[in-house]
Amino acid sequence: MEFPILSALVLTPALAAAVVMLIPERRREVIRPLGVVLSLLPLPLAGVLFAEFERGEAGFQFVERAVWIDRLGADWHLGVDGISLLLVVLTTVLVPVALGASMRVDHRVKLFVAMNLLLEAGLIGVFLSLDLFLFFVFFEVILIPMAFIIGIWGSENRIYAAVKFFLYTAFGSALMLAGIIALAFIHRDQTGELGFSYLGMLGLDLGPDAQRWLFAAFALAFAIKVPVFPFHTWLPDAHVEAPTAGSVLLAGVLLKLGTYGLLRFNLPLFPDAALDFVPLMAVLAVVGVIYGAAVAIVQPDLKKLVAYSSVSHLGFIVLGTFALTSQSLQGGVVQMINHGLTTGALFLLVGMIYERRHTKLIADFGGLASSMPVFAGLFLFIAFASIGLPGLNGFVGEFLILMGSYPTLPVYTIASAVGVILAAVYLLWAYERVFTGKITNPANKGLSDLSIGETLVFVPLVALIILLGVYPKAALDVIQPSTDAVLSRIEAVTEYRAPDPGGPGFVLSGGGG
Amino acid sequence: MIDVSYLSAAPEMMLVLGAVAVLMVDVFAKPPPRVHGWITAAAYLAAGASIVLQWQRLGAGGGGLSFGGALVLDPWAAAVRAVLLVVAVLGTLCAWEMLAGLGRRMAEGVSLVLVATAGFMLMGASVDLVMVFIALEIGSIALYVLAGIVRSSPAGDEAAMKYFLLGAFASAIFIYGGALAYAGTGATNLFDIERFLNDYLVARPAVILIGMALLVVGMGFKVTAAPFHSWAPDVYQGAPAGVVGFMAAAAKVGGFAALVHILFIGFARYQGAWSDGLAVIAALSVVLGTLLAIGQSDVRRMLAYSGVAHAGFLLTGMTAGAPAADGLLFYLATYSVMLVGAFAAVTAVSGPAGAGSSFDEYRGLGRRSPVAAAVLALTMIAMSGMPLTTGFIGKFQMFASAWDGGYEWLVIVGLAASVAAFFFYLRLVVLMYFRPGEENGRDPDAPLPLPVTIRWVLLFSAAVTLVFGIYPGPLLGLLTRV
Repeated sequence: MEFPILSALVLTPALAAAVVMLIPERRREVIRPLGVVLSLLPLPLAGVLFAEFERGEAGFQFVERAVWIDRLGADWHLGVDGISLLLVVLTTVLVPVALGASMRVDHRVKLFVAMNLLLEAGLIGVFLSLDLFLFFVFFEVILIPMAFIIGIWGSENRIYAAVKFFLYTAFGSALMLAGIIALAFIHRDQTGELGFSYLGMLGLDLGPDAQRWLFAAFALAFAIKVPVFPFHTWLPDAHVEAPTAGSVLLAGVLLKLGTYGLLRFNLPLFPDAALDFVPLMAVLAVVGVIYGAAVAIVQPDLKKLVAYSSVSHLGFIVLGTFALTSQSLQGGVVQMINHGLTTGALFLLVGMIYERRHTKLIADFGGLASSMPVFAGLFLFIAFASIGLPGLNGFVGEFLILMGSYPTLPVYTIASAVGVILAAVYLLWAYERVFTGKITNPANKGLSDLSIGETLVFVPLVALIILLGVYPKAALDVIQPSTDAVLSRIEAVTEYRAPDPGGPGFVLSGGGG
Repeated sequence: MIDVSYLSAAPEMMLVLGAVAVLMVDVFAKPPPRVHGWITAAAYLAAGASIVLQWQRLGAGGGGLSFGGALVLDPWAAAVRAVLLVVAVLGTLCAWEMLAGLGRRMAEGVSLVLVATAGFMLMGASVDLVMVFIALEIGSIALYVLAGIVRSSPAGDEAAMKYFLLGAFASAIFIYGGALAYAGTGATNLFDIERFLNDYLVARPAVILIGMALLVVGMGFKVTAAPFHSWAPDVYQGAPAGVVGFMAAAAKVGGFAALVHILFIGFARYQGAWSDGLAVIAALSVVLGTLLAIGQSDVRRMLAYSGVAHAGFLLTGMTAGAPAADGLLFYLATYSVMLVGAFAAVTAVSGPAGAGSSFDEYRGLGRRSPVAAAVLALTMIAMSGMPLTTGFIGKFQMFASAWDGGYEWLVIVGLAASVAAFFFYLRLVVLMYFRPGEENGRDPDAPLPLPVTIRWVLLFSAAVTLVFGIYPGPLLGLLTRV
C-alpha cells in the first residue's frame, strides 16, 4: 500500500498537539521551539505532495478512502486536486510562521502551541475532505481552537470577539448541516444507500427547488466565513482582538474556507442554482470590495485597517468565483493564496510594531522609517504585493480576476476595479503616516528594528510573494485543470457556456486547457 | 399460568439483593464505608454479569416475555440496562464522598442508589403499563429521598419536596393515562394493546388517544420535556451535588426506555398522532430549554435547562418511530455519560454535599483544577454538539431520523437552537479558561482538591465522549448488536 500522505498531513499536527500537551507547562523554554519544530513537520509532506502532484490532471489525486462510521455512511475520504493543493501548502507554511512569530506569548504556552497545531490539523482536513460529513466535522471543529486562541491570548475585548466569532460561524454551519443531511437522504433515495461522498453527490439529480435551497444553505455558511458583505461584522472584532498568530491564521487560511467552499461545493453541486445566484453574489462581492476598502481608508487602527482590507480582497475572490470563466476562477484560487501570504505578513508586521509600542493607532506613529528601516522596507514591500504591483503576486491574482470577470460581469468588474485603486490609497496612505516624515512622538525614537529571528519569519513569505509574481505558471499549472473542470461540470449540466479563453490572461495562464 | 424466567429480571434482583445486604450488614455489623463499597461493587458486578448473560441469551435467539407478560427480554431492555449500570457505577463513585459523609445513614443512601437503579432498569424491561408504573415508582421514590438525604441542607429539603410533589403528580397523570388506555382497549399489556389496535377498527379512538397522551405527559415529567420540566432546575440546584448527575441521567434513561416501549409497541398503530405530538413537545423543549438556559446564573440550573433541550433532541429523533431506536440508545448512553461527567466536575467545585453552583465559582477553574476544567469544558462542548464528540454523533442521528421522518422543520428548529445553545455552554468554558480567577477574592492558583473517585468518573466520561466521538463505530455496534 502506498504511504497515506494525506492522512499523514492531517494527523501529524494533531499528534504533535498531543505531544506538546504531555510536556509540563513549566518547561516553557522547550515548548516554544519544539512547537515550531513540530509545526514544520507537515511542511515536507506538503512539499512532496506538491512535487508528486500530477500536473494536467483535473481529478482528485492521492485519494484515500476507508469506512469511518459505517452506520451513518460516513467515510474517511481524502483527496487533493488543483484547488486544494496550494491551500494545503499555504497552511503548512503559515502555521510555522505564525508560531515562529509568537515567541513572546508568555502565559499558557503549552495550550497555545497545541491549539495552533490542532487548528492546522483541522484546516488541512477541510481542504482534503471528499466526504461531506468529514468536511463538516473539520469545518466545525476548527472553531474551538480558533475561539480559544482569540479568547485566551487576545487583547482587552477578546471574550466578546471570541464568542461573536464562534456564534456567527456556528450559525452558518448549522444550516449547512441541514443541507448535508438533506443531500445524504437524496443520495439514499437515488442510489439506495446513505452516503456523504462528494463524488457521489456530483452524480445526483437535484431538482431546481432543491438546488436553490441547498445552495442557499451552503452559501450562507461560506459567506459568513469569507466574510461576504453584510456578514462581515465578526471579522474586524476577531482580527483586532486576536493575538498575532491568530490573526495570521484567521486571515491567511480560515477565511479561505469560505471561498474554497463556494468553489468546491456550491458551483459543482448546485450548478443551476449557482447561475441563478450569480447576480446576487456578484453584487455582494462588489459591495464588499468597495465597502471594505472605503472603511479601511478611514480606520485609525492599523490592525483594523488590515482586517477591512481582507473584506475587500475577498470580495474580489468571490467576484472571480461567480464570474464563471476560466481565468476568473483561476484568479480566484491564486488570489486565495496571495491574500494568505500578504495579509498574513501584514498582520505579522502589525503584531511586531504592537509588541514594541503597545499601540496600533496610526496616529501614534510617524517617521518610523528612520528608526526601523528594515521594518519599513518590509512593510512597503508587502503593501505593494497587496496592492497588486506587477511582478509581485497580488498583480497576478487581481489581473486574472478582473480580466476573467469582464466578459461575463462587465459592470461589476469595472465597479470593483475601483477597489484596486482604493487599496493603493489605504495602504500607501497608512505607510505615509506611519513611516515617513520626522519622528514627532518621542516614544517612537530608538525603537529597535527587526531582530534576525523576526526577519527570518518573513523569508518564506517574501520568497513566495516574489515567486508567484514572476512565475505564476508554477501555481496556475496546478490550478487550471481543476478550475476548468468546475466550469465543464457547469457547462455539462446547464445551458451556460463560458466565454472562450483568450487574450493576455490566457498567455499568462500558460496555455493548455 | 405464570411463566417465570429469572434471567429476565436478574440484574434488578442482584441490585436489590445488594441493597438488602447493605442494610442488613449495617444493622448487624456497623461496618466502615469501605465494606458498603465492596458490597455495592459486588452487586454491580453481579448485575453486569447478568446483563452479559441476557445478551448471550438474546444472541442465541432467546428472550421474549416472562412474568405473565409483564417483562420482556429484548435487545432494547438489555441495552438500556447496560447503560443504566454504567450510569449507576459512575453515579455511585461521584456520590461516594457525600454518601460516606452521611455517617450512620450511609447504608440508607447506598441502598437507595441501588434500588433506584433497579427501578429504572425495570422500566426499560416492562411491557405492561402497570409494571411500568411500579418500576417508575420504585425508581422515583428512591430519587425523592436521595434529593433530600443531606438533612442539614434546607435547599435539599426543598428540592426533595418539590421533586416529590411534582413527581407524584406526574405519576398520577401517568396512571390515569394507563386507566384510560385500559378502558379503551381492555388491556394494560402493551402487546395486547398493539394486538387490539391492529385487530379492531376503533371507531371513536378519543379515549385511547387521550390515554396515550396522558402516558406521554407522565413520562414527559420524568424526562424533563417542556412544558413539564419546571421541577428540574430547583431539584438539580438543591439536591446534594454528588447525586444530581445520577439522578438526572437515570431518570432520563428510564423515562425514555419506557416511552419507547409504550409508543413503539403499544401504540405503534397511532404513530401518525403521537409523532406530531412528540414533535410539538420536542420543539417546545428544545426552544424553551435553550432560551431559559441562557439566562441562568447557576451551573446546575443551566444544566437542568440544557437537559430540557436534550430531552427535546431525543424526542426529535423519536418522531421517526422505530427506526430511530438505535440512535436514541446511543444518544441516551453518551449524554448520560457526559451529564455524570459534568456533575462530577460540579461536585468537585461545590463539595460533595453542596447545593447551588454559581457561575462565579468556575472563574479560572482552568488553573485551579486543570482536569476538572478540561473535562467540564469537554462535556459542555459535547453537549453543544460539536463534532468529534459523542454529542455530535448523537444529535446528528436524531436530526437525520427526524429529517427522514418528514419533520424537516423540527430539524431546522433544533439546529437553530443548537447555535443559540453555544451561548451558555461556551459561557462556562469562557469563565474557566478566558477569565482569571482573582476577582472573587480567592487565591486563583489554590488547587482544587479532586477526590480519586471523582477523578475516575471525569476521566472515564472524557474518554467515552472523545473516543466514541471520533470513532463511534464500536459503540454503535455494541448498542445495536443485541
